[in-house]
Amino acid sequence: MTMLDMARPGAQTPDGEIYLDYQATTPCDPRVVDEMLPWFTTHFANPHSVDHAAGRRVHDAVEISRVRVAALLGAQAREVVFTSGATEANNLAIKGAVRHLLSTGTARRRVITVATEHKCVLESVRDLRAEGCEPVIVPVGADGRLDPDVLHRALEVPTLLVSIMMANNETGVMHDMAALAPLVRRAGALLHSDLAQAVGKVAVDVRALDLDLASVSAHKMYGPKGVGALFVRRRPRVRLAALFSGGGQERGLRSGTLPAPLLIGFGAACDIAMREMAGDAARGRMLRDHLLHLLRAGCPGVEVNGDMEHRLPTNLNLRFADATALDIMARAPELCVSTGSACSSAEVVPSYVLTAMGLDAAQAARSLRLAVGRYTSRADMDRAAQILCRAAAGGA
Amino acid sequence: MDVRAWNCVQDGMMAHIVFVERDGTRREVAAPLGLSVLEIAHKNGVDLEGACEGSLACATCHVVVDPQWAEKLTPPTEDEEDMLDLAFGLEKTSRLGCQIVMTEALDGLVVRLPRTS
Repeated sequence: MTMLDMARPGAQTPDGEIYLDYQATTPCDPRVVDEMLPWFTTHFANPHSVDHAAGRRVHDAVEISRVRVAALLGAQAREVVFTSGATEANNLAIKGAVRHLLSTGTARRRVITVATEHKCVLESVRDLRAEGCEPVIVPVGADGRLDPDVLHRALEVPTLLVSIMMANNETGVMHDMAALAPLVRRAGALLHSDLAQAVGKVAVDVRALDLDLASVSAHKMYGPKGVGALFVRRRPRVRLAALFSGGGQERGLRSGTLPAPLLIGFGAACDIAMREMAGDAARGRMLRDHLLHLLRAGCPGVEVNGDMEHRLPTNLNLRFADATALDIMARAPELCVSTGSACSSAEVVPSYVLTAMGLDAAQAARSLRLAVGRYTSRADMDRAAQILCRAAAGGA
Repeated sequence: MDVRAWNCVQDGMMAHIVFVERDGTRREVAAPLGLSVLEIAHKNGVDLEGACEGSLACATCHVVVDPQWAEKLTPPTEDEEDMLDLAFGLEKTSRLGCQIVMTEALDGLVVRLPRTS
C-alpha cells in the first residue's frame, strides 16, 4: 500500500460518501483544530483587551496569525485586515476602495470586473451603480480566460478599480495575471483579486502579482469557516472607506471583536500551506489526472470545460455527453460533487460561469464540478470513476 | 529641526506659502526656510490645529497640497501615511502640515485646508 492509497482523515464522510467538493469547502486540518482548541476555553479573553495579561496573550496569538497569513501571501503583517471571509473581504475591497476614491473628488467612474467572477464580486460592482459608478463586466473566452486585449479596451475609459479573480471557483481556470496586472497599473486604476480559490493551492505573491487588494478565505484551505482576510497594500498606500461602524478595530477598516480561535486556526492553516502546498499540489494533480484518465476511458464523450493547462491542479469541470449533472448526482449519492450553480426546485439555473464561456444551457446542465484535496486517496479516484461512469451511462 | 534648517531660520531666509482657507480665501504668508507648514500656519494665525505639535501622533494638521506642488514634495513616510489613514476629508494630495518643511524649492507652495464635512 502506497501513501496515496492510505485512507486519511476527511477523505470520506462519516456515511462513506467520497468528498469531491473541495472548492465548496475543505475539512479543517486536524492540526489546525488542535491549535485552535485552547483559544476557545483556556485563553478566551478578548484580543482587544490589552489592559490585562489574558487579553494581551490572545492579542499576541492573533498577531502571530497575521504574520503567518501575510507570509503565505508575500505581504507585510500590517497589510492584512481580518474579515469574516472572502465575501466580506471582496465587499470591503471593492466598495471600500471605490467609495474612498469617490470621496477624494476623482472624475473616474468606471469599475471593471469579469463575467465569471464570484457572485459577491459581481454584485458588489453592480451595487456601485447606485453610487454613480459605471460597472463594466468584461467577457471571457471559451477557455474561461480574460483576453488582455479585452481588458485593455475596457480600460480606455478612466477606471477606478478592476477586480479579477486568480482562479475560478467553478472551473478552476486561472487568469493570466502577469499579463493583466500591468494594463491596470498603466491605466492608473486599482487592482483587486479574489484569491479565495488560489491561496494554499498555488503559490501566490501579492508583490509579484502587483496587487493593491486581495481577498482570502480560511475554509478553502483547511482552516475554519467564518474567517478570511483582505490584503491592503501600504506602499503606495491603498485607502478604504470602512463598511462597518464600530470600535475601530483592524486600523478602523473592520470594526468588531476578532474571533481569535478561528484566526489562530487560519494562521495555522497558512503555516501548513507554506510547508505542504507544493506536495499537496503535486499529489492533487496526480489524483485529478488519474481520475480524468479513468473517466476518458470509461465514460465516452466526456469533455473538460475550460482551459486544462491554466487551471488549479486539483479541479475538474466535466461535461457529460448525455446525462445531466442533476441525473448523475441523483444516481450517485455516494459522491459529494456539485454543479457549482444555484439549484431551485429541481430546476437547474444554468451556471453563468459556463454560459459566459459560450456553453448553452443544455451543455451547462450536463456539467459537473469536481475537486480533490488533501485527504483524497487514489482508491477514492478509482471508486469515483466507476460510480461516475455507471451514473453517466444511466445506471443507479 | 536640523542644524541646516536652523541656520536658515537664523539667517532669516524667507519663502512664501499660500494657504487656501476653508471659505476659499487665499492667504500668502512669509515662510521661513526650515520651518514646517504647521509652524508657519501657527505663526500666521491660520486655523490648522496640530494637536500633537508635530510629533506625528495625530492627523489634525492635515492639508491638501495643490496638485502642481505635490510632486515636488518628499514622498510621505509610512508613519505619516498611517496618520493620514485617520484624517477626515482625505484627498489624493493630502499631507500632514508638520511633515512639510519649507525649502527654497517650495517657494510659492499652495496648500488648502481640508473640507470639514
